[in-house]
Amino acid sequence: MPPMPLVPPLVQQLIDLLVAAPPLEGYLVVGAILFAIGAWGALVRRNAVVVFMCVELMINGVNLTLVAFADYLPNAGGLGASYAVLVIAIAAAEIAVGLAIVLAVFRTRRTVNVDEVTSMRG
Amino acid sequence: MQTVGQQLIIAAIPVLPALVFFVLALFGRLLRENAQYVAILGITVSLVFSVFALLYVAGIIPGGGTPIEFSVTWIDLGEGGSFPMGVYIDGLAAVMLVVVCFVSLMIQLYSGGFMEGDRRFAWYFAVLNLFTASMLGLVLAPNFIELYVFWELVGLCSYLLIGHWFEKPSARDAAQKAFIVTRIGDAALFIGIIIFWRATGTTSFEGISEAAQAGFVGGLLFTAAVVLVFIGAVGKSAQFPLHVWLPDAMEGPTPVSALIHAATMVAAGVYLVARTYDIFVQSEQAMLVVAYIGGFTALMAATMALVKKDIKRVVAYSTVSQLGYMMMGLGIGSYTAGIFHLYNHAFFKALLFLCAGSIIYAMDSYNLFEMGGLRRRMPITFWAMVIAGLSLAGIFPLSGFWSKDAIVASAYDEHYYVLFVMALITVFLTAFYIFRAIFLAFTGEPRTEGARAAVESPGIMVGPMVILAFFSVVSGWVGIPDGFGIPVKDYFAELVVPSEFARETLGLEPHPFSLIMAAISALAGLIGIGLAYALYVQRPERAGALSRRFSGLYTFLDKGWYFDALYGATFVRAAKYVGRMAREFDRRILVGGLTGGVGGLVSRFGELLRRLQTGGVQNYALFILLSVLIIGVIAGAQYAFLVFAIIVLITITAFAVGSRL
Repeated sequence: MPPMPLVPPLVQQLIDLLVAAPPLEGYLVVGAILFAIGAWGALVRRNAVVVFMCVELMINGVNLTLVAFADYLPNAGGLGASYAVLVIAIAAAEIAVGLAIVLAVFRTRRTVNVDEVTSMRG
Repeated sequence: MQTVGQQLIIAAIPVLPALVFFVLALFGRLLRENAQYVAILGITVSLVFSVFALLYVAGIIPGGGTPIEFSVTWIDLGEGGSFPMGVYIDGLAAVMLVVVCFVSLMIQLYSGGFMEGDRRFAWYFAVLNLFTASMLGLVLAPNFIELYVFWELVGLCSYLLIGHWFEKPSARDAAQKAFIVTRIGDAALFIGIIIFWRATGTTSFEGISEAAQAGFVGGLLFTAAVVLVFIGAVGKSAQFPLHVWLPDAMEGPTPVSALIHAATMVAAGVYLVARTYDIFVQSEQAMLVVAYIGGFTALMAATMALVKKDIKRVVAYSTVSQLGYMMMGLGIGSYTAGIFHLYNHAFFKALLFLCAGSIIYAMDSYNLFEMGGLRRRMPITFWAMVIAGLSLAGIFPLSGFWSKDAIVASAYDEHYYVLFVMALITVFLTAFYIFRAIFLAFTGEPRTEGARAAVESPGIMVGPMVILAFFSVVSGWVGIPDGFGIPVKDYFAELVVPSEFARETLGLEPHPFSLIMAAISALAGLIGIGLAYALYVQRPERAGALSRRFSGLYTFLDKGWYFDALYGATFVRAAKYVGRMAREFDRRILVGGLTGGVGGLVSRFGELLRRLQTGGVQNYALFILLSVLIIGVIAGAQYAFLVFAIIVLITITAFAVGSRL
């Protein structure tokens, strides 16, 4: 007679599921959700600083996708991961410039509400 | 055959003045008054080279004695033939080269004084040289296409020079008139060339003549083409009915008039007929047209010159008249005499203009009735003008006598009695009007302050006049007919002869020199001078009384037979009407309708698109996102479901954004 398992099979299944390497789709879905949330925020939030944070979210959603693909596609030789590093560096630079612009706008207009900054209207 | 070096010398004849044009056009502002020295250097070298060509063709240089002929292919159409650029110099062309270079040199020397202080001094000399270069190129041309290129260049230069003082409205109008009227002839000439080319496949003068002899082209088509070519000559040489531009061309600086009338522009028409003589002789009707147009023009222009008050216009009409002589000479078959007259005419007509210019320079007036008594004030000009006038009137033994007599005599010998009588009347009228001008200007008492204060022109102007006066006397002596009794060979008739073919076709026979004919034509001239003396020196009041009694005739002649009024009422008015219609069509339909319509449409569309540019950064972000999605849908149609889900997501997003805008 087989020995009694220490944990019920249902729980064992759950543990196995948690311990096993998650499937690619999982990463992709998380990435997509991150991207969507970022896009949503970038489009609807009024505070320029928050918009920037949302852009960061979008960037990181993409980064996650890149890294996941790098892991699951061994033939690519890890190119995706190195590309993600590049994206991080550029994101940092972009934030530096972007925040400087936000600061400059704030100094002249005393506001960071993107709806009020429309001097480029055609 | 010539050596390459000799060919280069020949090619340099027109190239040098053209080079001078480019130098002066580019560096004229730097050179200023020094431009004249560059110009004179260039034309002097050309003259020397031309003399070389003449000596070569005349057989004086060893190895010469034959026409100079060489060419290169310019446009090669393969099966369709080719258009060569080349050189053909026989006696006729060689004589013309020397005359053109010589007269041009004299006029450029003279211009240095006459144009002193002009605003566009260097440009004037530049165009003068381009003018000379074009004429030299025209003279060298062995085919119609090359000739036509230079033909148009000549027309362009005359336009530029007649309109040199374009600040004056009358000069502008005259330049346009000259250009447009000669253009009518040019168009006819071009049609003629095309007919010849289509019919014979060649444009060379020799080739067309041979093809016509062989019967490739003939009958009405051939005659039409020849007459069209002749209309080109009519326009350039200011023959009836396209003569109206030449008197107006007097608006240009006087030395330019001298150049146009003596050597370059108007000589081109006569030269064209002479050059294509082998073609012309094959159409009897065309020859008759040439002869009668010439004879009629000679008489008509002479009557117009009778009453003109403007000294330059008198001389201008005299040019029209003399060119008529030359055409008549060519038309009745006395080729040598016609060209001989062209050659003599160049010297004395240039001189007449330079004399007129000298008077104008001295007293700043063109009006004969404001002159008078200039003989004592300007003796050299007076004597030069008398020599030129005698030569023009055909008085023995000046140059004009020999050629004019030859034309008049051959009109009689060839049994063209109507033309003979017309020519004889013209001789009389010519002598009368030119001496009327001389007597009015130089004898009697000064009629104005200007005439009283006139002084002789500076040496740089008088020098060329003296040289030309010398040639006006002696230039005819190279063509003294053999039968005259002076043991001098008729060099000119040896050098400039119609081809064997032309002589056979026309059935020409040598006529001995007739002393009676010469006496008659000289007598007609003398009577004219005598009448002018009687009317304008002995009894000046008689001339006025005559003009009052025949005031209708006087006005008729003074208005130039109302040709200007006739053309003004018909062609000019019609052309202006068409022009106005075209302008209205352009403004209303093309600019107002089409262009404006398209422009308005675009700008209205832009107005619509403008609303999209809100300036809000999030709107732009939304557009980017939507665009990417659209592209994604198109690219990833196979993942339609996934895409559809995202679209739903984004649509919700868009609505969310939209509600905030």
